[in-house]
Amino acid sequence: MATATIAQPKGRRSTRARGVRVFKWSVLSPLILLFLFLMPVFLLQIYFSFHSWTVYLSTWFDAEYVGLELFQEVLGEERFWNAMGRSLLFAGLSTLGCFICGFALALLMYRPFKGQAFFYILFILPMLTVPVVIAYTADMLLYEKGPINGFLSYFLPGDLSKFTWLSNPNFAIFTIILLEVWNWTPFVFIIMLAGLSSLPTEPVEAARILGASRLQIFREIQLPLLRPVIFLALILRFLEAMAEFPKTWGLIQGGPGTATETIPIYLYFTTWVSFDISKGAAMSYVVMVIMIFIVLTAIYVLRREKRALDALHETSRTEA
Amino acid sequence: MSEKQIKRRSLLKAGLATAVAGPAVLGGAGKAQAGPEEDAVIKAGKKLGGAKLNGMMWGLYWRNYPDLNREFNKATGISMDKVSDVPNLQIPQRAMAEAITRSGKFDIFHVESMMIPSLVAAGMLEPLDDYMKAAGFDLKMVGNFETFMTYQGKTYAMPTDGNVCPQFIRKDLFDNPDERKAFADKHGKKLAWPVTWEDELEIMKHFHRPDKELYGFGGLRDKANSSFWYWMYLYSAGGFPFDDDANPTLNTPAAEYAFDTWLARKQVSHPEAGAWGSPQMIPRIRNGKIFSCQYWDGIIAAIESPTAGTKTRGMWHYGLVPGSKFSGRLIHRAFSAPVMGMVVNRHSPRKKQAVAWAMYMSTYKNSAEVVGHPKFTFHDPWHPKHMTDPQVTKVYTKAGIKSVEDNLLVTCPPPYVTGYQEFKEVVDRNLSEAYAGRKKGAKKVMGDIQKEWAKIIRKVGKRKLKRELPFYKAMMPKVDKPM
Amino acid sequence: MNRVTKARLFTIFRYAMLFIWSVIVAFPIFWIVSTSFKPDWEWHAWPPVYWSKEASWVNYQAVWGRPESPRTATEEKTQTARYESASANKPWQALWNSLYIAITATALSVAFGAILAYGVSRYRILSEIRMFQLLVLRMIPPIVVAAPLTLYYSAIHLMDTALGLVIVYFITTLPYSVWMTKSFVDEVPVEIEQAAEILGATKWQAIREVVFPLIRSGIVATFLFILILTWSEYLLSLMLSKVDVVTLPVQLAKYEGSDEGRVYGHQAALAVGITLPLMIIGIFIRKHLVRGFTFGMVKR
Repeated sequence: MATATIAQPKGRRSTRARGVRVFKWSVLSPLILLFLFLMPVFLLQIYFSFHSWTVYLSTWFDAEYVGLELFQEVLGEERFWNAMGRSLLFAGLSTLGCFICGFALALLMYRPFKGQAFFYILFILPMLTVPVVIAYTADMLLYEKGPINGFLSYFLPGDLSKFTWLSNPNFAIFTIILLEVWNWTPFVFIIMLAGLSSLPTEPVEAARILGASRLQIFREIQLPLLRPVIFLALILRFLEAMAEFPKTWGLIQGGPGTATETIPIYLYFTTWVSFDISKGAAMSYVVMVIMIFIVLTAIYVLRREKRALDALHETSRTEA
Repeated sequence: MSEKQIKRRSLLKAGLATAVAGPAVLGGAGKAQAGPEEDAVIKAGKKLGGAKLNGMMWGLYWRNYPDLNREFNKATGISMDKVSDVPNLQIPQRAMAEAITRSGKFDIFHVESMMIPSLVAAGMLEPLDDYMKAAGFDLKMVGNFETFMTYQGKTYAMPTDGNVCPQFIRKDLFDNPDERKAFADKHGKKLAWPVTWEDELEIMKHFHRPDKELYGFGGLRDKANSSFWYWMYLYSAGGFPFDDDANPTLNTPAAEYAFDTWLARKQVSHPEAGAWGSPQMIPRIRNGKIFSCQYWDGIIAAIESPTAGTKTRGMWHYGLVPGSKFSGRLIHRAFSAPVMGMVVNRHSPRKKQAVAWAMYMSTYKNSAEVVGHPKFTFHDPWHPKHMTDPQVTKVYTKAGIKSVEDNLLVTCPPPYVTGYQEFKEVVDRNLSEAYAGRKKGAKKVMGDIQKEWAKIIRKVGKRKLKRELPFYKAMMPKVDKPM
Repeated sequence: MNRVTKARLFTIFRYAMLFIWSVIVAFPIFWIVSTSFKPDWEWHAWPPVYWSKEASWVNYQAVWGRPESPRTATEEKTQTARYESASANKPWQALWNSLYIAITATALSVAFGAILAYGVSRYRILSEIRMFQLLVLRMIPPIVVAAPLTLYYSAIHLMDTALGLVIVYFITTLPYSVWMTKSFVDEVPVEIEQAAEILGATKWQAIREVVFPLIRSGIVATFLFILILTWSEYLLSLMLSKVDVVTLPVQLAKYEGSDEGRVYGHQAALAVGITLPLMIIGIFIRKHLVRGFTFGMVKR
């Protein structure tokens, strides 16, 4: 059970409660201090988003107050919403890709078979590869006359293997998505593997004895039990993908044109190339609000799943 | 001359000597002894007391300096102790981040000179003139090039690199009698060195053979670099990006002509050029997959240096870039960007020593050593005496150095105004969109740039820009064609 | 079709799929390794050179070798450029920076996360909703706070210090530490702790001597996952470092020269050095890994 409290004799309750309080605050106070320590970052951010600061003309503390003007500028900007759309597309599709590959692999591998350990080690390697390394490796691999196309030309006829992965503005973002899938499939794979291998075996056995097919067992028994894990994997992956920067930046800096300009890239350009720190700050807040909205929805879903799971266990425990 | 120095000099020369053994090279070795110019800087440096400097240098280009650094340290106790070797595109923003935070962490930035106005406005740069006078240091650069290091009458940077982009054309193909005949048959005129952009395109089309892995044009068209070429086309059409009242003039016919010229090269470029920067293009040029281009002159050295081991050594013509008759007369304009110089941080407690260090690296003899390095060829000639220096000539070849000098005489900067990065970003992005086919038509693309520029101008302030424009204009060459 | 044939078909299908995915996974990794052994004329070769006939350690020497050491015969022959920096050898320094920053931040994050998780599991010192809100910390893209963080850090002189990086890494990874370790603490029966306390152990002793050893494999898995995040972090380390605490991922971006294009061989040699430590750790503790990744969403 998640929140078991330690039963104690009655007389010692007050000292115990004090002990818990001391423990609680000795753990929480450093955390709170750290948050307070980082608070100025967010205060500065708020300040910037309401003041227009041209970095090379004045110091930040005498920037001009402009109210909500910067927010209006961001919200009314086509480029921002395009970047947002690209970010959502990137995060959505890469999450889906990671999930399909990771789950499929986990399903193939969760029961012992010959070579399981070998494949397992191999499959977690991409996650252990540093994203910047992936960017530069992709840079070596993805030329029209590069190793990947060279490799594909053994299997694909003529023109199909003359793929321009990065310079085709319609495809560039999918190339980055593929890289993200390559990088983070192991994450989903491990989560799903953990989920699958810890499922109770009794219901599956019972269903098998009753003559259920593999597919039926999967759909009717395993999938429902896995729902919380699946949601968790999807949500974590989606949110991490929204913040993806090193691969996109290291590979094509949001190009060609703005074809791969996601929110992190656009923010980087605004803040560090155009030095429009104020607009960057306003944009950050817009992004944060959108992200928090997504996170809250996610948390709602996760909590519901977790409650259902806890309840399920509660009943199974009492039955036992 | 200490033992260590002798060892270094001889090592450096050995690379050359083994490849092109000859008395000329060995004779040149004596030149590297410290001369009066260096002695003066050392004398000035000794008075300041030792210091350990921090520098922000461009990527791999620090490689040419450790020897000189050790030497100066020995003589004066001043040395570059820690180097942040940032990738090329990041230096401007990192320097600006330092300016905003008024940090004294770095003493020297190796930054492109176009950033000088913005960094001066941010209160970061130390003017160098007084120090130069005190040390008796005289900064000389080819033609009008000194203006790239100055701003509002003051010198702010010590040059390290005289980037200019000459015309590269493959000699073996261009001089091939069969090709000349085929060209003459098809076009009814002789194959000659291109005078205008239109001529160049015609010739490139003739030699553009993607099926044989030969591409007509090798200039950059990616997001980070595309604007450099654009300025060249614009200036040669008689255009200028601002009018006298500091309004943008990018919706003018000249600007649109420049855009069309810029985009027309897509027909003769590699299909992936839209995503390629120097890291991808340079190996293609060196390996003979490109017929012609305007490219940074360091590539001449990378191709021709005896020790560089490039496939196409001796297979290139170098010359003056084409021009345009758009304005009614023929104007040739080359471009120089990014021109790297060392600027000194005003907030640094060690700025005096930093200036001395930077001056030492930019004396004629020391810079000739850096510029004429047989293997690390990034730093390009800029000093008038580099043009006749035997070591530099050895690495760049006579024809190469001639083309560098010619192009330097008509070379132009990108907008040399406060907010350069912002202006550049807008042009780069819109051009890149157009190259990728996401935006169509000169009117639309240039109109968009015009609109976005107007916003930046409002931010920087018209009055400030108007004060700056004369200095920008003063950098433009006075002649249509080098004499 | 009887069960045996079906099972056999499934086995074939399984190996076929796993083989395909193995190729997808292994090819890029193979390419990094193979490029790191290639001489420069093979970096861009077409048709691609899969394994160089002239494989050598030249790139490794150029990147990891001591700049002052005499040049090797191969280096002389191929005219390999040494990557020489002003003082110390940069990649080694970057490796050291990466190691101690990543490990310190990870250790702190996991240790503190585990204690917090214990508190949550046993005494609910954070309510469920607070626990979920903790996850929000992770969800703010680092680029969003990079600019004010730079200004703030400069003001309080944390810029370009290991401490500065450790603090941000600690904060951004804490949600994962807490969530991952909590699921393990939940599994430890309360009775064991009680027994220890009855035998005279203090609370801290009980945690240290009883609970932590029992959740060791979970701690190890959490440690690795957090280490992956801190070791490979790029953006914050780029923005918050100058010369003193440059980490490996930032160092990697520097192998690019206008006179030779991107220096793939050197980059690959460095990339191998960056990736190898993580992979070795990962392979050693692979067994713990699976158990750590359920975030309390699966009950055993």
